[in-house]
Amino acid sequence: MDNTGKEKEAMQLMAEADKKVKSSGSFLGGMFGGNHKVEDACEMYARAANMFKMAKNWSAAGSAFCQAARLHMQMQNKLDSATSFVDAGNAYKKADPQEAINCLNAAIDIYTDMGRFTIAAKHHMTIAEIYESELVDIEKAIAHYEQAADYYKGEESNSSANKCLLKVGSYSAQLELYPKAIEIFEQVATSTMDNPLLKYNAKEYFWKGALCHFIVDELNAKLAIEKYEGMFPAFSDSRECKLLKKLLEAHEEQNSEAFTEAVKEFDSISRLDQWQTTMLLRIKKTIQGDSGDLK
Amino acid sequence: MSSDFEAYEQDFGTLTAEITNKIGRIPKLAGEEKTQLVLNVDKQLEEVRELLEQMDLEVREIPIQSRGMYNSRLKSYKQEMEKLEKDFKRSRIAYSDEVRNELLGDDGSSSESQRAHLLDNTEKLERSSRRLEAGYQIAVETEQVGQEILTNLHSDREKIQRSRDRLRETDANLGKSSRILTGMLRRIIQNRILVFILGAIILLTIILAIYFNLRGH
Repeated sequence: MDNTGKEKEAMQLMAEADKKVKSSGSFLGGMFGGNHKVEDACEMYARAANMFKMAKNWSAAGSAFCQAARLHMQMQNKLDSATSFVDAGNAYKKADPQEAINCLNAAIDIYTDMGRFTIAAKHHMTIAEIYESELVDIEKAIAHYEQAADYYKGEESNSSANKCLLKVGSYSAQLELYPKAIEIFEQVATSTMDNPLLKYNAKEYFWKGALCHFIVDELNAKLAIEKYEGMFPAFSDSRECKLLKKLLEAHEEQNSEAFTEAVKEFDSISRLDQWQTTMLLRIKKTIQGDSGDLK
Repeated sequence: MSSDFEAYEQDFGTLTAEITNKIGRIPKLAGEEKTQLVLNVDKQLEEVRELLEQMDLEVREIPIQSRGMYNSRLKSYKQEMEKLEKDFKRSRIAYSDEVRNELLGDDGSSSESQRAHLLDNTEKLERSSRRLEAGYQIAVETEQVGQEILTNLHSDREKIQRSRDRLRETDANLGKSSRILTGMLRRIIQNRILVFILGAIILLTIILAIYFNLRGH
């Protein structure tokens, strides 16, 4: 009722704006009030897009915002253009993820051109989240998260950079790119070790890094644990470290029952999340795999 | 004669049985009942003693040949009576389980109560250990929540610092732009004054030209 009315209004506005743009293309229009008309058209596109949003017609809203953005580019209004692209991306997020990503990429290009890396990094994160959730393309997500982390590091916002890096690390480990994951986890852990606010998180990062080492090779894991204990004494007190040592023993003896029991005991106190359970399962499979070979 | 003796024997038997029964019951009772029973048993013991004396007299009247058997029987009866008296004396001062239970409450036998006690304790221990574990779990969860909060605080801190820096920059830029604007304003005023002056000069020149023209004519 109300929405369809809005939609009709919106379509009218779009049509008017289109006419304006066309009319400004002629020579005379360009001489006299060309810019004026294009500006008006931009504004009308934006209003039309808002009305589409109210009517929940997301793809139409997105396309209206895109048009507005292109007109802004014509007028060399980079900032406005970038904001319109971002609006378009937000509108498309709900309807067509691919288009959203295109719009956001365009916006990022403009921002990096202007030198506003922080906000570009934020949009990289948004794109990566879309890849994570809707399009499920983990590699591209990793690439975007990495970019975001680099930009954040460039702008000295280390905690946001760490957040992105952690995501990169977990996804790489999931995709079995273990050396990269290990490097990332160690890097993040060492940088958070010294910060009094963040040092309670450091042990969690060491734990994750050690898990990745473990999957690659057991000897690596032992060396890694010793190294971490040397760097960060509090790590040896944590329950995670004790669990690791138990798991190492069970792995040496190829005893998958002791392994499962140790994991269960840890889980009874504080639940293991999805990522950690996947990693532990992989380690367990290597134990059973080895014992299968022995048979 | 011997039939009298036998009658006495029978009486003796019944009496001793009764006395033994009552002696068994005495420790379990207390107070009035006890004193009554004690008096009862006393009377019965008196009767038993009289019986024995009569049996003795009887035995004396028996001819000597058959006396031996009756004598031995009499001796055994006398021994039994002495034993009964001893028992009686002991029973009057004996403690019994009943009295103890009355003092300490109505339990069954003691071993059962110990067992129930132990089970109770084990259950209490288990309950406490379960509570401890739950408490530990909550502590660990709290620690994790604390970690998250700290990370959030850290990132917020950086954001705030950045915004503050940007704000200072904007402030400086605004100062610059306001200076530029005042400069522009000044120049506009200058221009306007110039235009007025020039206009005035032109007007003056025109007026002078007309005046000279008129003067020349």
